[in-house]
Amino acid sequence: MAKKKIEDKNSHNGEYIKNDGESSSNEEEPNFSDPEGYVDDISNEDLLGDLLRDKPKETDGVESVIVVDGVPQVVNLFTDFSKYEKIPEKWEPPQPQPYKGQTDLHYYLLEPDAYDQFCVVKAPGQGQSVQIWQNTQPDPTLLEDRQTWTHTYVKWSPLGTYLSTFHKQGIALWGGPNFTQYKKFSHSSVQLIDFSPCEKYLVTYAPLIEINNPDQMRIIIWDIRTGQEKRSFNPDAPSAWPIFRWSHDDKFFARMGTDILSIYETPSFGLLDKKSLKISGIRDFSWSPTDNVIAYWVAEDKDVPAKVTLLDIPNKAETRNKNLFNVADCKIHWQKSGDYLCVKVDRYSKVRKEKNETKYSGMYFNFEIFHMRERQIPVDSVECKEPIQAFAWEPVGTKFAFIHGESPNISVSFYSVKIGQAPTLLKKFEKRACNHLFWSPNGQYIVLAGLGANGGGSLEFVDSNEFLVMNTTDHFMMSDVEWDPTGRYIVTGVSVWKTQVDTGYWIWSFQGKILKRINLDRFAQFLWRPRPPTLLSEEQQKEIKIKLKKYYPQFESKDRMRQSKASKELIEKRAALMDKFNAYRQKKIAEYNKNKPRRLELRNNIDTDELDADKENVEEEVVEFFVKEEITQID
Amino acid sequence: MKPLMLHGHERAITQIKYNREGDLLFSSSKDNKPNVWYSLNGERLGTFNGHQGAVWCIDVDWTTTRFMSGAGDNTFRIWDCETGTEIDKAMGHNCEIFIMDVRNVDESLSQADPILKIPIIGSRVSSMLWGALDETLLTGHENGEIIQWDIKTGKKLQTAKEHENLINDMQMSKDSSMFITASKDHTAKLFDSDNLMLLKTYKTERPVNSAAVSPILEHVVLGGGQDAMDVTTTSARVGKFDSRFFHLVFEEEFGRVKGHFGPINSVAFHPDGKSYSSGGEDGYVRVHNFDPSYFEYGFDY
Repeated sequence: MAKKKIEDKNSHNGEYIKNDGESSSNEEEPNFSDPEGYVDDISNEDLLGDLLRDKPKETDGVESVIVVDGVPQVVNLFTDFSKYEKIPEKWEPPQPQPYKGQTDLHYYLLEPDAYDQFCVVKAPGQGQSVQIWQNTQPDPTLLEDRQTWTHTYVKWSPLGTYLSTFHKQGIALWGGPNFTQYKKFSHSSVQLIDFSPCEKYLVTYAPLIEINNPDQMRIIIWDIRTGQEKRSFNPDAPSAWPIFRWSHDDKFFARMGTDILSIYETPSFGLLDKKSLKISGIRDFSWSPTDNVIAYWVAEDKDVPAKVTLLDIPNKAETRNKNLFNVADCKIHWQKSGDYLCVKVDRYSKVRKEKNETKYSGMYFNFEIFHMRERQIPVDSVECKEPIQAFAWEPVGTKFAFIHGESPNISVSFYSVKIGQAPTLLKKFEKRACNHLFWSPNGQYIVLAGLGANGGGSLEFVDSNEFLVMNTTDHFMMSDVEWDPTGRYIVTGVSVWKTQVDTGYWIWSFQGKILKRINLDRFAQFLWRPRPPTLLSEEQQKEIKIKLKKYYPQFESKDRMRQSKASKELIEKRAALMDKFNAYRQKKIAEYNKNKPRRLELRNNIDTDELDADKENVEEEVVEFFVKEEITQID
Repeated sequence: MKPLMLHGHERAITQIKYNREGDLLFSSSKDNKPNVWYSLNGERLGTFNGHQGAVWCIDVDWTTTRFMSGAGDNTFRIWDCETGTEIDKAMGHNCEIFIMDVRNVDESLSQADPILKIPIIGSRVSSMLWGALDETLLTGHENGEIIQWDIKTGKKLQTAKEHENLINDMQMSKDSSMFITASKDHTAKLFDSDNLMLLKTYKTERPVNSAAVSPILEHVVLGGGQDAMDVTTTSARVGKFDSRFFHLVFEEEFGRVKGHFGPINSVAFHPDGKSYSSGGEDGYVRVHNFDPSYFEYGFDY
């Protein structure tokens, strides 16, 4: 049979062989048969183990047998019969599982010296790694250093409980004293994630359609504690991340579409009142950080002016409306305590249409300040003729700051807001080289920073109580600025994602004193571990502030002890190095002295070991130098 | 510390060297003409004219009677120090080491055969030193390797691969028992000259072009900076063109000297240890006399 097949093939390909030449057709076919009495020394498993794995088993046949029993449809696998036949007569109660305690997810908050943690990501190249450090004084301590812990970057959850890492298959959350894996969320090619503010839910987003899994939804919302998928979506159009925005208490989340605002409830994950809100021309929205209030704005449409609206949730009552004219764009900025809302309005004097493009000219700018805690929510306006580069509320306090003007005439202005009063200008810094503002999380202190190549890495540390510039310095090509959650330290970084040279991160005190310069090859990302809000009441915090003087000596002595311990360790280290080196040198010096005759031999018996070793052969040469010429005129 | 600025060269300085007594400072540059200066006041004594290419390396003998230079015109030349006249020259070849007898050098040099020829197979030589007692030769290579040669046989004695990139410069400690290397891999390293054991490493963030050991204190000085071709910004501040002082034993940096507005290509200590000089891509040689505070400063240990 086999022979015949080969013959068939030959005749079929006859023409080809002819063209190829005679050599192949004339050659005799080699004999592949084993000689008589040959015993194969390779077992079948070795030779074709992979094929044998697919060899049909007896059970395959049995498992495919189904028994149709009764009407309408009861189908049993044949193997089930044997399974149920073997049920033991006596029932044994299952053994109780030993209790597995949850790891203490909040252990890091019990650190007696309130040292914060931070995480450092090194980009792939020569070894991707993620490091977790504790910002101990005077030197940080490395807690974890894991290779290829994440595929791209990492993200802390908003209260700092979990560290999330990104992988091709999905997201992993880590927590507890040794950063053990807490949960995994399977979502192929996930790129972006967002936590709900109370860390109950996680939103994952894989923007590209998976070839291997085309049915995978692009957005999935998960319950973090159970790991269950709560709901999934396929967004129709790309939009600004986060697509779903959460209310401060995790009770609601919302997303915006064309002329539509969809608000969902938890834990049902259904639409609030089972329907979306129709808002024609909605352009952007934002939740208050402290209340269930949504602020949104709609663009102007012919004669209808643009509008900013405050919406109470869940009753959907409009608590405030503000009409605005000649609006090109709006940006919504909530103050962290929810007391004030600022809407930055870009306004124009002239508009013209050009090939479907709207071109604005004669731009000027407004800040609309909403006093959220006052009756009927009065609105004040602050105008600025110059383009705005950045805006930032003081997180705790009543100030806001913004950068305005065009290079090289960049200014930074500070305003304060008060109940029942229009905002007042406190201070204007002129001719500054900055493009970003970073308030301390506790307010009062602010860093004016020039990020990127344009900013030159300039840094200015300002105390906004007296507008005292505490330090002016720079970190060249700086790409990131990160305050620690307590407002004691600030880190500036040069990330390999932005520039290749001199990557690393520098740690400063809030006053702008450099504490550490860490130059790290392929440094990519720096993140302080967030802290949950304080559990102390406002009275308790005030009391601590009053009694602060009492604590000073205690802290100072602790600092001194740490410092002296560190310097003692350094001195011990140096002494050890010196001892070792001196021991090495002693031997070398002895050798050197022993070789003296040989050196003399090489240099005609002249001792050149020291400059003045050979006094007899010194020729003194007097060289006169021209020092100064003075011309005095004599009358 | 106000430095003397020696501006006699028209192009980048490639190497500077003091004579044994330190009264003279020799400098070479890409402008073809090595110079010699009084180190005390920076007055120029003269130039050595004749090369037709950038001069890359120079040396002076221990009696300060002969000066030698190697250049891009494929020649090395031996000069009379006092008169500045060329005694003779010899053509070089592709990376080969020639050992010549120049104890009584005269115009027959170009006809003389080398005592020893060592062909270099593999990575090229980028720096070279005589070992103590003239028994060995140390070569630093483009791939970061250091090789110790027996000059009687021309055989490799030992190799050390501690650098990851080109070794631009090597200099002996005062007693020649140790030498310091300067490498493009951003480090300078201290080695034992007998067994090539790595003793110390001095780390920076930029290529190191030159390094020297103080003859009197436990200090080393490093010169370097971002490569001229890699300078993407005009800011001299971030190019890090400073001379950087490290403690020899603790490997800790304790001082910097600013001044050059391009990378430093060569540094050298005066043999009395009371001053040092640096030559840069900017074409200047800067002679620095140390302030008293430099000698008072000490590390606690």
